[in-house]
Amino acid sequence: MTEKKIGAFICRCGGNISDYVDVEQVRKEIAREDNVTVAGINMFSCSDASQEDMIANIRENGLDGIVIASCSPKLHLNTFRAMAERAGLNPYQYIQVNIREQCSWAHTHNKDAATRKAVSLVREGVAKAKLSEPLTPIELTAQPSVMVIGAGLAGMRAALALGEMGVTVYLVEAAPEPGGSIKGRKSLFPDNSSGHELVESLLERIRANGNIVLYTSAEILEKTGSVGNFTIRIQVDGKNETTLSVGAVIVSTGSGSYRPTDGEFGFGLSCVLTLNQYIDMLDSSTDTFLLNGRKIRNIAYIYCVGSRRTGKEGNRYCSRYCCSAAVHTAVRTHEVDPSIGQFHFYRDIRTYGAYEELYHEALKKGSVFLKYGLKDPPQVTEVSGSGLRIRAKDLLTGAETVELETDLVVLVTGMVPGENSQLIDILKLPVGKEGFFNEIHPKLRPVETVMDGIYIAGACQGPKTLSESVVSGMAAVAKSASLVLTGKVNLDPFVARVLTEKCTGCGECISSCPYGAISMKETPDGTVVEITESLCKGEGACVAICNEEALEIKGYGHNMIKAMIEALGG
Amino acid sequence: MIRVNGEFRQRARLDKNFNAGQCFNCGTCTALCPVGMAILPRQLFRYVLLGAEEKIVEYSDSIYSCLLCRMCEENCPEGVLIAENIRALRRYLVEDVYHI
Repeated sequence: MTEKKIGAFICRCGGNISDYVDVEQVRKEIAREDNVTVAGINMFSCSDASQEDMIANIRENGLDGIVIASCSPKLHLNTFRAMAERAGLNPYQYIQVNIREQCSWAHTHNKDAATRKAVSLVREGVAKAKLSEPLTPIELTAQPSVMVIGAGLAGMRAALALGEMGVTVYLVEAAPEPGGSIKGRKSLFPDNSSGHELVESLLERIRANGNIVLYTSAEILEKTGSVGNFTIRIQVDGKNETTLSVGAVIVSTGSGSYRPTDGEFGFGLSCVLTLNQYIDMLDSSTDTFLLNGRKIRNIAYIYCVGSRRTGKEGNRYCSRYCCSAAVHTAVRTHEVDPSIGQFHFYRDIRTYGAYEELYHEALKKGSVFLKYGLKDPPQVTEVSGSGLRIRAKDLLTGAETVELETDLVVLVTGMVPGENSQLIDILKLPVGKEGFFNEIHPKLRPVETVMDGIYIAGACQGPKTLSESVVSGMAAVAKSASLVLTGKVNLDPFVARVLTEKCTGCGECISSCPYGAISMKETPDGTVVEITESLCKGEGACVAICNEEALEIKGYGHNMIKAMIEALGG
Repeated sequence: MIRVNGEFRQRARLDKNFNAGQCFNCGTCTALCPVGMAILPRQLFRYVLLGAEEKIVEYSDSIYSCLLCRMCEENCPEGVLIAENIRALRRYLVEDVYHI
């Protein structure tokens, strides 16, 4: 084998690295390493000018591999892989060494040691580059279909958008009717639109679109396969089983509603309702406005019930929709009967953005707002004959104690994760600490999950207003459509490989693989195992279990790992 | 302790001309007041919103000490008609409390 030519480039990162690591010293030591043909320093390796310099270097010197010692590969691995490709190098023969997050930033107190560590890390990178081999991403075909799980507003809107793009959509709903939490609602903030009409108009368009199949009373039983080629078994009406092939899945299962504990702000007393219960009452009442046969004269709202708590009880987060929903409900109530007094006991009003107008409308129509602190929350007691009594300290009136006799107390409760344990188990959905589904990155990859090809949309991801739910549903449409309409999926080539000359065919590895990617194969020379690359995730359980070192992950070979450890130690 | 009375504003005919609901307690009115009222306008208006009738009667001297100069009103960031609200309170005191 001809000697490999390696180029090593040390990044200053404008001082982020070079303030603590002597980059010239690192360059000198690396330049002495075998096979290192070029050793250079960049001010910002990621800048266009530096990339062009490196590309010229690769071409002029005919380099077979390069090492860039800079920031975390999370940041620029793909940047430099693309650069290597532009220079005519296989992108997998580019090695990134992290000397910023894991060196200069971590050891600002000891520059000598930081420099020595940087030298070791770059040597390790060079050892890896020497043994790196050209790899090709695995290309799979993708099914031109998407399953949307949950036919609430976000799921229905997403299904319709996909259907209009020509994608086959299976819209799967657990309840007997689609529409989710809004189907019975008469008036939704901010524009007083009817939930019933929204659902009906979407359903009409979904039925008219030939690409969408709607399953109600349906349950997900099993998922096999991977991105581009999922096979999902569902059961409809508890009896009929169907197996569907899809390229991607959108999960839009919505949220639940916080249920106060018995006695929390008087919950359990007959005239203490949650906001949702009160809206149900408002939606079903006609011209009269009675509670238990009595006319309502005063209503008290208590905000942030179960939300923004610091102790063990309740949730830490703000549900962001409830303030707006509560003031919108108060405005509706003022319109039904302007003589009703409405008192809002709140902690902070968060009617953000344009919803602020709803708050001002409630004020204008006569709602009175009283601010309470967590230390002195309102106390709700029952008074015989006259209804309920609330006692609280109003921080807007110099923290004076106020007492209010009221006919109805409305507890403004937030959203909680829905009950989805079976679905989480089947789809291996990532769940955050609050119990909602987790995206990969809250800003840059807001609807993708760590499970390739599985997207999340709507309130199953965390509290959202209706419009925010639909926005995330459409984002999931863009991501899933771009996957299935391309018709193919590229996967990283880091999958297991069998060194058949070493394999004894013992089969220990088959049971160690959580993805079922290994099977037995008969050959003229005996029985060995083989890998189904589309199923392999390259996580390496089989490598560790094989006594013969007959399995390795491409790009992470046994000889490479050993050489890297040696380089680190030397 | 304040007993909140939801019907007070209606009964005292303060509903139409009284617009202190949008006060957000910034205190500009208090800082600008040349008289230095014994009760801050914003606190007085809170009592009205909550329907604390006895507090309004208790502070009637302050309500009458206002010069109606409107410096506060000109500078209120929320557009509360402070002087107009004081006049509405005077009307309520004269007609409903002192029966003059």
